[in-house]
Amino acid sequence: MVLNMDAINIVKTNYIKELLAKNEREDMRDMMSFRAISIDNGMIKNAEGSSQVDLGATRVLAGVKLQLDEPMEDTPNQGNLVVSAELLPLASADYESGPPSPVAIEFARVVDRGIRAANCVNLESLFIEEGKSWTVYVDLYVLNYNGNLFDAGEIAAMSALLDTRVPKYEDEKVIREETSGKLKIDNIVTSATFAKIDNKILLDPTENEENACDGRITIATDKENVRAIQKGLRGGFSSKEVMDLIDVTFNKHEELKGILKKSQK
Amino acid sequence: MASSSNKPELIKNGKRLDGRAFDEVRDIKITAAPLKNADGSAYIEWGNNKILAAVYGPREATPRHLADPSKAIIKCKYSMAPFSSLSEHGRTGPNRRSIEISKVIKEVFENVVMLTDFPGSEIDIFIEVLQGDGGTRAAGLTAASVALASAGIHMKDLVYAVSVGRIGDHLALDFNMIEDNYSDSDMPVAVAPRNDEILLLQMDGGMTREQMSDALEMVIKAGKKVSEIQRDALKKAYASEAKEKNGA
Amino acid sequence: MRQIVIPGDLVSDRIIRTRNTYTQNGKTYSSVLGMYEESTNEVIPLEGTWDPRVDDVIVGIVKETKSSVYIIDLSYFGKALLIIGKYDKFEYNNGDIISAVIKDVEGKNTIILTEPRLLEKGTLINIRPKKIPRVIGKKSTMIRQIAEATGTHIIVGMNGLIWMDGGNLTLATETLLKIEREAHLSGLTEKIKNYLDSKK
Repeated sequence: MVLNMDAINIVKTNYIKELLAKNEREDMRDMMSFRAISIDNGMIKNAEGSSQVDLGATRVLAGVKLQLDEPMEDTPNQGNLVVSAELLPLASADYESGPPSPVAIEFARVVDRGIRAANCVNLESLFIEEGKSWTVYVDLYVLNYNGNLFDAGEIAAMSALLDTRVPKYEDEKVIREETSGKLKIDNIVTSATFAKIDNKILLDPTENEENACDGRITIATDKENVRAIQKGLRGGFSSKEVMDLIDVTFNKHEELKGILKKSQK
Repeated sequence: MASSSNKPELIKNGKRLDGRAFDEVRDIKITAAPLKNADGSAYIEWGNNKILAAVYGPREATPRHLADPSKAIIKCKYSMAPFSSLSEHGRTGPNRRSIEISKVIKEVFENVVMLTDFPGSEIDIFIEVLQGDGGTRAAGLTAASVALASAGIHMKDLVYAVSVGRIGDHLALDFNMIEDNYSDSDMPVAVAPRNDEILLLQMDGGMTREQMSDALEMVIKAGKKVSEIQRDALKKAYASEAKEKNGA
Repeated sequence: MRQIVIPGDLVSDRIIRTRNTYTQNGKTYSSVLGMYEESTNEVIPLEGTWDPRVDDVIVGIVKETKSSVYIIDLSYFGKALLIIGKYDKFEYNNGDIISAVIKDVEGKNTIILTEPRLLEKGTLINIRPKKIPRVIGKKSTMIRQIAEATGTHIIVGMNGLIWMDGGNLTLATETLLKIEREAHLSGLTEKIKNYLDSKK
């Protein structure tokens, strides 16, 4: 789209705000509802695990590959997890080719944080023998963008990890065609991202809502604990708001966990 | 070409490893316009290849000072996802191979797209290999053609590509990854089917003149089927439009 | 009879000069994915950027002002200019939304506009230009149906930009997006009527 983005964003932002003044959203959702979520696991057979998630029109494909590696010096008895992301230029007229932008990097690091802090991947199970361990690479590929990469990415990463099989390691060789079993997942983390527009807070913002918002906050929890939080953009939140949103995230956790489990083949 | 010391036998009892005949192309499925934001797109499953092609444009050329006031500029980016390979985790970002592939594919479309219909603009083609198993540039190009058509870009023809190569004395179409790695010669070819005009041809290894001639013939013959699949994908996506207008 | 044509498909054994085709060796071929209408020898594209024609109504945003010319953004790869004549009284700021009419198209990518109108307040949405005829409908029946059901003032730009103000904006937006998604499906007029009725 060639449009003068500032000018059209102003128009769309005014529209979003007008609707919010009546507690309405552009797709007629409730303030605290997710868009429709669909999960398709295992489509990339070359990968050790994969999952394609649609959160409304936002589509993220997560691929997991295990690489034979050396444990890190300070953790000699476990393997590693690396999460990366690419905002593919085919996902939006506003995405450009090139090295990962700060938006892509923040996206990858926030998704990583939730999974790591909740100890979802059992890193000790990735240890093979002295000097040898697996590194789990999760790559988030954004295929279509309409807001809220964080939650789409978190679900995709979590689902792909649940779908992941560890390759067989025998006689000093990786035999990818065979597996020694599923990747050991000890915990499930889910996230909820909120946008604040004119002091109203809504869950799972679309692209237009993100462009209209003052502040944004992503909260990741497992069943009992808050595991990661990322507040983004310029606007601010009060302590009460943060606590209320943590409660909403805990409430949504069971629902999202159910959707994740159901999608596992 | 991989070393011939651990070369697996690509042909056993006169048949290829996956049971295909020498002139048989793998199964192909194409879906037109699967993406919402892109102006045009296509998803192709070709054997075990899974590739997404998308088009944006014609749109304003950026940077503006590089726009060509007489015609459209075509940009093409071919890349492979880090999880696309059966073996190692790949590195992101362009490498020399993907840059070269992007260039030769771009040149195919610079031929068939009617560039002067969109002066001063830019047409962007993105080819993302989500899963690769040999012949990704042919599959990617075949999908990109469909994506361009679904974006309404003006073109002379709907180009397809198929690769052909040599294993010992046998010419064989459409190598998968293993065949690709251990073959004696490999040649991707893109064809504009209306006049069977060759718009992409790359080759390495060794082929006699007669083998070259036979190889090109094999491509053109098999290409008819590939072209049909492309056309069917586009027709399927708009079938109801035709029905409605005729019935109405 | 209409049939789908693909770039490179033979449209005629002789030379026909019509849009979206090209000629070679005395024959005419389609240059787009489109519908070929035999009775009028026309190829109607099914997708693609907007094809600007004289008298088209457009909706756009004022992008730049240069001496006596406004440059208007039409979500189009070319340039759209609104020339301020000696007796013209309009004055716009960057960011203003206007509707206008195409006076002339020069060299395939430069549009000259006339009859500008300032559109204040309201909101804009983008619809793929080739779906706009569906949004308008035969003799404007579709767009009028939507405007009546929602009470929204709607101006449809042939360039794919639609301006709306007042009434039930969310329903108007949802309806327009629905038409864009389902433009190629049959029975659309009926579907939209039922959709609007159900939201009353």
